[in-house]
Amino acid sequence: MGKVEEKTGQIIDLASKLRWQVGDDFHDKLTESIYADAAVISSRVESTRDRKANYTFDRALDRILTSRTFGFPIMILILSVILWITIQGANYPSGMLSVLLLETIYPFLKQVSASVGLIWWIDGFLLDGVYLALAWVIAVMLPPMAIFFPLFTLLEDFGYLPRVAFNLDTLFKRSGAHGKQALTMTMGWGCNAAGVVSTRIIDSPRERLIAIITNNFSLCNGRWPTQILIATIFIGALVPNGFTGLTASASVIGIAILGVFFTFLSSWLLSKTLLKGEVSSFTLELPPYRPPRFWKTIYTSIIDRTLIVLWRAMVFAAPAGAVIWLVSNVDIGGDSIADHAIFYLNDFGLLVGLNGVILLAYIVAIPANEIVIPTILMLTVANLNMIGVGAGEGVMFELDSSMETGAILKAGGWTLLTGINLMLFSLLHNPCSTTLYTIFMETKSARWTAVSAVLPLIFGFVVTFLVAQIWRIIAGI
Amino acid sequence: MAPDPIISLVYFVVIVLAIILIWRLQKSTRFLQTSQQIRKTLVEDILKQLYHVEYSGRSASLNAMAGALKLSIKKLLRLIEFMTDRNLMRFDQNTLQLTDSGRDYALKIIRVHRLYEKYLSEKTGFDKSEWHDRAELKEHTLTADQTDELYQVLGNPRFDPHGDPIPTASGEILQPKWQPLSSLKENITARIVHIEDEPDVIYRQIIDKKLHIGSQVKMVAADENHIRFYSEGNEYEFSPIVASNVSVEELTEKESFEENMVRLSALAPGERARVLGISSECRGMNRRRLLDLGFTNGSEIEAEFDSPMKEPKAYTIRNTLIALRGDQADLILIKKVL
Repeated sequence: MGKVEEKTGQIIDLASKLRWQVGDDFHDKLTESIYADAAVISSRVESTRDRKANYTFDRALDRILTSRTFGFPIMILILSVILWITIQGANYPSGMLSVLLLETIYPFLKQVSASVGLIWWIDGFLLDGVYLALAWVIAVMLPPMAIFFPLFTLLEDFGYLPRVAFNLDTLFKRSGAHGKQALTMTMGWGCNAAGVVSTRIIDSPRERLIAIITNNFSLCNGRWPTQILIATIFIGALVPNGFTGLTASASVIGIAILGVFFTFLSSWLLSKTLLKGEVSSFTLELPPYRPPRFWKTIYTSIIDRTLIVLWRAMVFAAPAGAVIWLVSNVDIGGDSIADHAIFYLNDFGLLVGLNGVILLAYIVAIPANEIVIPTILMLTVANLNMIGVGAGEGVMFELDSSMETGAILKAGGWTLLTGINLMLFSLLHNPCSTTLYTIFMETKSARWTAVSAVLPLIFGFVVTFLVAQIWRIIAGI
Repeated sequence: MAPDPIISLVYFVVIVLAIILIWRLQKSTRFLQTSQQIRKTLVEDILKQLYHVEYSGRSASLNAMAGALKLSIKKLLRLIEFMTDRNLMRFDQNTLQLTDSGRDYALKIIRVHRLYEKYLSEKTGFDKSEWHDRAELKEHTLTADQTDELYQVLGNPRFDPHGDPIPTASGEILQPKWQPLSSLKENITARIVHIEDEPDVIYRQIIDKKLHIGSQVKMVAADENHIRFYSEGNEYEFSPIVASNVSVEELTEKESFEENMVRLSALAPGERARVLGISSECRGMNRRRLLDLGFTNGSEIEAEFDSPMKEPKAYTIRNTLIALRGDQADLILIKKVL
């Protein structure tokens, strides 16, 4: 043993002596020699066809797609078309799914449970709570994702998306972020959880964290319907009938753009404070263009992105449905838990221009933004003991016309301010639990997950608070 | 109903101000420090300052020391008494002198400072203008074990990112053979080996000019008012005071001065070049990433096209199109191929 230790000691001594001789740049020399060896080996075995034609075509396309004149218009055009196809195209399958899951299967299940004489609270807990929440999430979430992600992946496969990052990098660099964040941000418009997963394309640790934490400011497809509904009811009503749709769309786009603004603002704040010391390195490869592999892309984007995200959302939505049903049906001292909670949250809610119902809805609907509006409606009706509307205590519902929805909300004390602040708060609040879970899985850090949850919440309360106070001061005069 | 908006706003402003105040307080160095910790910091600062003064061959007077450390004479005298009691320094005829144990102590602090700067440059993303201040705080709190661990993790470095030698654990320190840039004769070629990071104002002036450690320089003209020299395709003009904070080492016979060495950022679209290497200012993960992509001596590179907002620029290297930002292209050294 003694001899081995002696020899080891000698080797270590020799190594530390040699270390002083090799100099600081021995890593460079090592890489150089690896490249030199690789070049020798590949020149022996590699036979290259003439790629000149491809190369010239690529450069010509690059000149157009990254040109000063056409670069940005082409980018905006492609993105608008994708979003338009997604929103318009998702309406039909969403409608069909909701007819199937909510209007056919749900009554059928209720009937079955009634005929076998299921105890009322098991029936309510499972069907009105768990099943309804699941059905809602699937109907609202699945179609847009199944359209958006394949389209996006096709563009990626073609090689266009890295050029978008290339075009926009300067904008992101100013706020301490990476150009590729443009892609993860866009992906977030489909679904924040998928957006967070897609930040894997950013290989620099600091910029990746920035992209993860700020992804929530991309208005995801679970929030678009809320935005459109509230904008139609409250903002669309301000203008003559013919302009309702246009005004509502414009204000939703305004909210989405506000989200982009907050993305830049918080990227900048984070890179100047919390994330200052994280390592940052920029690399962006612009791969050659190639015809997208259509079926492979469709398959992988449906399996890898859509179904995984949908599965996670369902795992979280089911217990949320149960909680929603329970808070409305478990009574303490004659009032349901929901009524108590609304009572306590109401003062703070009013202070920031919202109300107790909205805050409670956002707490119990953390798992999925899709069920916020049904939850708000249910809670409002139950809280006011309205008769003849809704589907019963703890049963989420939606109405076909925005007029009727508006009537319920106005009966719940909503004003134009509440509507605007709900739109703002829908943009600026904690990510849904699916996204939070994904953030934790990607960063493996409770700290960054907490930052991602708290930062938008602070923004949300500050913004709604300020809007409410300024609104009241102006209205008071 | 909703509370009075104006009163609410007043509360809001008060809360925001309170948060800012707490943030500021927490950042200040002496927040929640015991008087013993404060004294330790001061003692170590005095030792370090004294070491630097003695190292540069001057002698330290009481007044100069008080001025350099922004301490009152009275307070300084109390600290000196404390330190002479512990045999860290001597004080006679108005000059302060380090004892042997004081010098060892000072070298330990300097070791921690320079190691920590090395750590900041290699393993974190802090800007180089922040390294010094952060190391100033850390040098008083790191234990001997932590320092040794840092030394191991960094791969036993010899120099800090400014080019200063790092003392070994046993207190040995390399004596570098530098000369100030201002003393270089015309047409003599040299390499930048050290950029002094104090005072901060001058250091910032130098790094704003994007002058890098490890760069080759060639003196063009030097007189009492201006120092003009050439480096990596650019001509620089410094005042003698600024130039004296940059130290150089003349090139040996083995190293040749690359007359046409320029930075990659100078390559216009359509031009081709051969990579000579990566500047030693490019460190840590950034350096490894560029090496992995093939930015090594001898690689051929061609500038292709710019982004609509000018940055980044796309280059073809080893049959791959890679986009680089301007500050990265500044750190890659090339020779144009015509």
